[in-house]
Amino acid sequence: MYQLGELGGPNVQVDWASGDYKVNDYFGFRAGKVKTALGLFNDSQDVDAIFLWILLPQSVYPADNKSFLLAHLGGEVYGELPLGDRGGKLLYRGFAGESILDSNGGYVQQLAEDGLTFATPPQGKTYGGDLRWQAPLRGLTVGASAVVQALSGTASVGTLQIPSLLVTSPYAQFERGKFYVAGEYRRTPANAVLAIGPEVIPLPEDQRSWFVMGSYRITERFQAGSYYSHYVNKALDTALPANYSKDWVVSGRYDFNAYFYGKIEGHFLHGTGLGYYESTNPNGLRPNSNMLAAKIGFTF
Amino acid sequence: MSKTRCLILLLGFMSVWSAARAQDVVLVANKGVQISAISPADLRAIFLGAKTRFADGFHALPVVLRGGPAQEVFLKNYLGESPQEFRLRWQKAVFTGQGAMPKTCDSEAALIEYVAATPGAIGYVSRISPQDNVKTLVPYK
Repeated sequence: MYQLGELGGPNVQVDWASGDYKVNDYFGFRAGKVKTALGLFNDSQDVDAIFLWILLPQSVYPADNKSFLLAHLGGEVYGELPLGDRGGKLLYRGFAGESILDSNGGYVQQLAEDGLTFATPPQGKTYGGDLRWQAPLRGLTVGASAVVQALSGTASVGTLQIPSLLVTSPYAQFERGKFYVAGEYRRTPANAVLAIGPEVIPLPEDQRSWFVMGSYRITERFQAGSYYSHYVNKALDTALPANYSKDWVVSGRYDFNAYFYGKIEGHFLHGTGLGYYESTNPNGLRPNSNMLAAKIGFTF
Repeated sequence: MSKTRCLILLLGFMSVWSAARAQDVVLVANKGVQISAISPADLRAIFLGAKTRFADGFHALPVVLRGGPAQEVFLKNYLGESPQEFRLRWQKAVFTGQGAMPKTCDSEAALIEYVAATPGAIGYVSRISPQDNVKTLVPYK
């Protein structure tokens, strides 16, 4: 259950629930509604307490579609392969299953604005994997994820079809003591087709997204950091603000104690390619905007 | 040197010695654990959830203290993390479905009791805690 502006609703959803059997350190498997391994943060993006940020880089981890990307129904194998004292180790995850659009999420909202309202949310098969190398240099992780995803749905007045698309996402992070730096790139080429009555509407997309971030723990209780998040749809006119989003962010977090924390975050946005909806912006959009966000959290 | 100055020096020396002793911890394990020494890499991997077995293949079950000097010393000296970093790391594992939080004990006596009764358990206590019912492990480079 969540509410994010107009998105979300009162219905209770299961974020994830899985059974897990670890045969040994090299191999294990889990099944159920399993969190999807994609990039640095996809499977942990709902765990607010572990992040400095209020919003993760929206180019790669859009909050309005978080629940769709977070997990899939199916299974996963995982394990690690030691590469010797000087080689670090490899961690792998491979998965397959079915993904279902969140009926209260951003994609469904967008489709409703396009004229398609679904009684049953669109869904499709997904499979992929993640391979990450924990280098012998402690704190350094380099990896890449790849996910194949298809989606289809039938509404009363039309259909949505997205043939299998390949999402790729290389990344790296380094954490040592009070320092943390990370970066990730994601490419999502999609050829969605909407059919509304006799009209067929192609929606070509070639999303190129990336971010770089860094943070420093100034005191035991206070942490500060910044990131730059970049999104552009290369399939369309990249000069139009509707087809890109560039977000400069500064953030601070204060831990009052082991359980309570507060966050504050400033966003300096250029472009309207991410996170805006016609229903909440009936008078149109300005190309640039700023946002100040604050949050209090509790964890135990 | 007067007796008073000698006494003050002695008390001062004892105080520094006690503080230095308190700065270190002893690794303890269930008596059924076969190994008697453990590498820093294995220790770190076990307490961070990356490894579930000792070097000899037996199941390892990490046990931690809820807080206190021994907890801070262990995390800093053996895992290279602050209590906050350790907690956040485990929260991430728990909330992504990739691990279960280690057993946490409120006191060193409770930790010793749990380790003594649980096969595969490994923990740590300050040097001043009695370790009669458990096995001590030596860290090696």
